[in-house]
Amino acid sequence: MHNVQRRVGMTFSLCMALIFISGQVFAAAKEVKIGFALSMTGGGAAYGATQKNGIQLAVDEINAAAGSEGIKIVPVFEDDASLPQQGINVFNKFINADKVSLIIGPTLSNTAQVTDRIAQQAGMPVLAVSNTAKGITEIGDCIFRDSLTEMVVIPNTIKVAKEKLGVHKVAVFYGNDDAFTKGGYDAFKQAIADAGLEVLTEQTFAKGDRDFSPQLTQIKSKNPDAIIVSALVEEASGIVSQARQLGIAATVPIIGGNGFNSPALLKNAGEAAEGVMMGASWNASSSLPLNKKFVAAFTARCGNPPDQFAAQAYAGVYIAYEALKKAGSDHKAIQSALGQIKDLDTVLGKFSFTSGRDAEHTPVVQVVKGGKFAVFGE
Amino acid sequence: MDLLAQQLINGLFIGSVYGLFAVGYTLVFGVLDILNLAHAAVFTLGGLLALWLVETGGLSIWLAFPVSVLCCGILGLLLDRVAFVPLRQRADSNFSGLISSIAMAIIFESAALGLFGARTVRFPAHTVPVHIWRWGGISITSLQVEIVAISLLLMVALTQFLNRARAGKAIRAVAENDRTSRLLGIHVDGIIAFTFFISSALGGAAGILFGLYFDSLSPDMGRSIELKGLAVIILGGMGSIPGAILGGLAFGLSEVLTVAITGTSNLRDAVAFTVLFAVLILRPSGLLGRKKMREA
Amino acid sequence: MEALCQFFAIYGSLVNFIGINALLALSLYLTMAAGQLSLGSAAFAGIGGYTAGILTMKLGVPFLLSVAAGSILSGLVGLIIGLPVLRLRGVFLAIATLSFGEVVRIAVLNLDITGGAQGLVGIPNLTKTWGIYLALAVAGYTIARLRHSRIGWCFESIREDETAASAMGINTTYYKTLSFVLGAILAGFAGGLYAHLNYIITPREFGFSVAVDLLIFNIVGGIRVWYGPVLGAVLLTALPEILRGTGVTAGPIRMALNGLILLLVILFLPNGLVSIFGRTGQEREKAPVDAVPEEG
Repeated sequence: MHNVQRRVGMTFSLCMALIFISGQVFAAAKEVKIGFALSMTGGGAAYGATQKNGIQLAVDEINAAAGSEGIKIVPVFEDDASLPQQGINVFNKFINADKVSLIIGPTLSNTAQVTDRIAQQAGMPVLAVSNTAKGITEIGDCIFRDSLTEMVVIPNTIKVAKEKLGVHKVAVFYGNDDAFTKGGYDAFKQAIADAGLEVLTEQTFAKGDRDFSPQLTQIKSKNPDAIIVSALVEEASGIVSQARQLGIAATVPIIGGNGFNSPALLKNAGEAAEGVMMGASWNASSSLPLNKKFVAAFTARCGNPPDQFAAQAYAGVYIAYEALKKAGSDHKAIQSALGQIKDLDTVLGKFSFTSGRDAEHTPVVQVVKGGKFAVFGE
Repeated sequence: MDLLAQQLINGLFIGSVYGLFAVGYTLVFGVLDILNLAHAAVFTLGGLLALWLVETGGLSIWLAFPVSVLCCGILGLLLDRVAFVPLRQRADSNFSGLISSIAMAIIFESAALGLFGARTVRFPAHTVPVHIWRWGGISITSLQVEIVAISLLLMVALTQFLNRARAGKAIRAVAENDRTSRLLGIHVDGIIAFTFFISSALGGAAGILFGLYFDSLSPDMGRSIELKGLAVIILGGMGSIPGAILGGLAFGLSEVLTVAITGTSNLRDAVAFTVLFAVLILRPSGLLGRKKMREA
Repeated sequence: MEALCQFFAIYGSLVNFIGINALLALSLYLTMAAGQLSLGSAAFAGIGGYTAGILTMKLGVPFLLSVAAGSILSGLVGLIIGLPVLRLRGVFLAIATLSFGEVVRIAVLNLDITGGAQGLVGIPNLTKTWGIYLALAVAGYTIARLRHSRIGWCFESIREDETAASAMGINTTYYKTLSFVLGAILAGFAGGLYAHLNYIITPREFGFSVAVDLLIFNIVGGIRVWYGPVLGAVLLTALPEILRGTGVTAGPIRMALNGLILLLVILFLPNGLVSIFGRTGQEREKAPVDAVPEEG
């Protein structure tokens, strides 16, 4: 207590001195609190960690550039332990105790299904930066997201595979105990039916599985033109490398969605990743100057290149910043300012919100080429 | 035909990894009648530590493997000292031991998370040179052969050790009856500590082999094998070493055959756990367990 | 008054979860009171939760009726599972109930009516805080009364020594099954309340780790008196929020602390945290310790 008083006292006299010297009241940057609900432990810990790195980078850049006129972001980070229960507690704290202006998160869609309803009731704007499940933004007009859903990303990928690679008969392989991978499967199924492809076999795995050879052996015996996989990167890299080990020819492409778009795929699947195709929301090798700067800064700071989770979280902070600049800290004003964002330059490309508050920017079809993600056909 | 042959190979391979994991589990159970739920956490730490030695320490895997296995053995001694020794005289020591092993599992997993991070990582490519053999539609990798060989070697060595060596015989004596063993002049506490050393070392070895083959290590990698390991030791008969090996193979094959026969994989885990459930009800002593239903 | 409103705005949901977790912990306590170690409580809560949720959501059944239906169905399943399973003891029983839990979880994942991995979405929020605590009060009171009834004494004698209890003419099968079914009914009831709390339930909320959490609540609180599990549930559910309030950084530390608390309790307070408070002569006499000094 004593210490705090002394510090306050010192700050005060320092301020007085400054005023005295400069002869005018010092205009401080305006501070805005943003609550970040991330999964730092539990099943989503790997994603929460990379998101936090992306966010911290964006916040530091914004605050360094704030000067005396702009706004400074005061981040409040909380861990929801990948559990909806704790996510609710985090949101209640953000809304009622920290009184943040905006919430970014949570990491997992399952948690968002619950927490975003609380925010909606309280009129608190939420920007989701990684949720891709159906129905998140439909919770209400306070809920926005900058992550393209599998529903947007996948149809295009399937179309390209059919037209450019002559894929007609496919095998489908997905995780059936996780909201993200199951949602991706639904999107693939729809897109496959729309494109008129034939499904030879459907196989499933569970989160945490490491051995996929029984299913892949089954798939191999059907001789598909391509294998369509809905998985997060932990499982995706194992599936890719085991498929090649089992002798599924490199000419049979493996096609994935957002979950595949991570440097971890290149690292963990190694050479086997070559030729893997995926629909994605962010292209790491994009030549946009903003993106190049982001990739370089992130790599320098964290020692590893960013993945899509980091990119979307980083973009999310800038999208929020854009709204906060216009709206100040009033919730209603922030909400309408978010809705008006149009063609904002971000690392994801030109970014707008749809009338349904979902992300609108061009998805990419990527392919792994020479150990790097490249845009398909370039 | 190729399909079935390949599936059988898949099953034998994963089964031998399950077996190696389960041997350590069942060894402690045989001696102490305690289910050591921290075994999966040691498995995880073994894999991650070996990776750290290879990647950061620059050791070759042939050196990192024994070093990490040794560290896991020492971790086993620590586990025994902290979580089991203080409970040994209690009337409900097998129940409280189960609980304290859960506590240690949580502590170990959080240590893995804190030390190595949450990301899924792998051994650098070509840590072990891999050659793939193909006959028609069947493929086997040299790594698979090596892993099965190492697993079998370790399991055979353990069996021989228990049957022949003095310390091994002492372990069996303590497993049979610790009071009598004490009377016979066996240093029971030392033997139990030694059992934990061997069990954890084997668990760590399983973690390294698992990580090497599947190219993915993460702090929660022990979770899915933990339940499967339980199924394996029940299937084989609690406390029986050959039972654990056989149980591992049987479990691996049952998983694979479910996929091969039904053509889908939705039911893979359900079938495995239903089998486990049925074995418990119909023949709780397992395939090779002692006839007497043990109170644990 | 305003401070109270503010408190509820921030911690209202936490208060609800504490109540639900206390009910679930009590359901496991009921089974453990007769000496049976079950890891199936989470699955029973899932059966109750999904049944109640589906009834209110899809068939428009009134709230209380659907919660009751879920609770009864859970009890019935408990009866069907309990009869064969309860012949097993200790760890074997724990593993059997655990595999039952896994089968339930996999079934829920693969059914259409439960919404699979995405969860059952759109259950109306009908559970009120007072309702939870009323249920908790009734459950606590009933269990406290039960203890001094014939049923309570039978439970206790089975826990202390099943063989002796049987020799004294107690129908152990009947009472063990009773304790198991009562536990399933209460778990199903709590699951039904939980389903109507947050608009959505997912299979993961009723998995293995939740079953272990419930066991931890019981151990940390103490399984000798009914308020032990309640205390454990209150403390451990609130702990993450208390740490959040005191600014302990997120991540591994919080997890490690959970493990550490469990370890310290099992090592030094074998009767749980309640033994710090009301240590009556009766409790002391029943301590399951014969050689370890009470406070270590």
